[in-house]
Amino acid sequence: MLLYALLTGLIFGLYFALVGLGMNLVFGVMRIVNLAHGDMLMLGAFTAFWLMRVAAVSPVITVIGTFVLFFVIGLPVYYALVPRLQRSREPEMLSLILFFGLSQVIEAIVSLLFGNNERSIPSRTLGGGPVSIFDQTIPFPWIYAACVSVVIFAGVYLYLYHTGFGRQTRAIMAQREEAVTIGIDVHRVSAVAFGLGTALAAVAGVFAPFMLGSFTPSIGVPIDLVSFAVVVIGSLGNPVGTILGGAIYGVCLMLMRTYFSTLADLLPNLVLIGVLLVRPTGLLGRTVRHA
Amino acid sequence: MADGARADTRTTPPPPLLRVTGIVKRFGGFTALDGIDLTVRAGEIVGLIGPNGSGKTTLINVVSGLLSANAGEISLDGRSLTGLPAHRRSAAGIGRTFQIPKPFASLSVRQNLEVAARDGVDIDAVLADVELDRHAARPVSDLNSVSQKLLDLARALVTRPTLLLVDELACGLNPVELARVAERLRALAAAGIGLVVVEHLMSFIDSITDRVVVMNAGREIFGGRLRDAVQDRDVVEVFLGAPEPVAA
Repeated sequence: MLLYALLTGLIFGLYFALVGLGMNLVFGVMRIVNLAHGDMLMLGAFTAFWLMRVAAVSPVITVIGTFVLFFVIGLPVYYALVPRLQRSREPEMLSLILFFGLSQVIEAIVSLLFGNNERSIPSRTLGGGPVSIFDQTIPFPWIYAACVSVVIFAGVYLYLYHTGFGRQTRAIMAQREEAVTIGIDVHRVSAVAFGLGTALAAVAGVFAPFMLGSFTPSIGVPIDLVSFAVVVIGSLGNPVGTILGGAIYGVCLMLMRTYFSTLADLLPNLVLIGVLLVRPTGLLGRTVRHA
Repeated sequence: MADGARADTRTTPPPPLLRVTGIVKRFGGFTALDGIDLTVRAGEIVGLIGPNGSGKTTLINVVSGLLSANAGEISLDGRSLTGLPAHRRSAAGIGRTFQIPKPFASLSVRQNLEVAARDGVDIDAVLADVELDRHAARPVSDLNSVSQKLLDLARALVTRPTLLLVDELACGLNPVELARVAERLRALAAAGIGLVVVEHLMSFIDSITDRVVVMNAGREIFGGRLRDAVQDRDVVEVFLGAPEPVAA
């Protein structure tokens, strides 16, 4: 029981880290909280539903196609909303209101167009049968989602730490004003980060029907809460910390589901509160020393 | 005709590198810059001095593009920069340092320069120039405040500026470091870079500047040599206060 809880907790943790990664990247670069993040995930789930279940497109093509499609969608959304937001006096606070409004609009439009029915995708769509790890039987889609998450983490890491554009992204995350004055085009880099954040949410959405069992147009807000908890536990603004935050959240959730299923959501949120009280910058948050 | 053209070249001074005309900057009802003019020629070091709150850093922020002006014109080397965003002003040749340097904390010392460097810049040479070469691979959080200031200067230099805005670089440096920085700034000017140096340390300003502009309440109250500024009644009043009226 315990081993199963820990194992599935880590697997779900990797997935939750993917869920939160885009939100954290956007916050790190733009210092705005994208509360429409969960709705992008929901739209990704719809895209997967249509591609994999209706059009019988392969999972790999679905993941790549969803990533590209939502990356492209994220760019005009960035230019339409974020630069204007950042010219305001309170961009962080206003971002909560603006993106919550966007979230509600997306949810309402999707509900109107496609209804509020729960949708799911059969596990066999991803191929493979149950996988045995340490004598524990794990559904194949969970392993698939965790593996894709790991591949994406590696890609984001390579992008941030081994490309010039990624280095510019980290410079903006560290000091926005200084980055501008050395010639970094903050809007170009931020637009790419926003597109990336949107694409990561959508790819997480591809696996939502498998990890969550089903999805509806209204899963955006609960997903936002999970994302926020994951990124705050790890460290808000530090994408690497998201993996740690996801793992902790996932293990806590699965332990509770195993032993106290009616209180499954309690422990992860208690951990979130505990981290905020003890280490407000998150577990990997760095203490900045100013000159 | 040719002789005439040569004569014109001899008599006409080169156009200013930086020309700032009638800059106004307001923060709500507060006017931080009230019609400031400033010119800097290539190879010239201009000191910008004045009491706290006089608008020196605001002027630097406006010239570098971090703040937009409510009115006025800025041109660099004859090209208008008015309305250009900060990153394009950097590309046009404006570099700057910050009063409180804020290096990119998640990057190493060398990476802090790599992310800023223009093509062909020898980063190792710049690091050696500010004596940070032995710290190149270390995280910037390991640097003390003086080294962070030098890194800030190096980061501005690798952008290959033609105009360098230096905001209180000397603060916190010991006499040896001050002398080195002064020498470095003079060398930059000798290489043709125009410099605007904001500083409170008058001996440092005196050692490097060709002329100073004294600001108070967002306006220029004096322009000329520092030795003349200290004799100017308005300047003395701004720094020391008006003399008490003598009782009859």
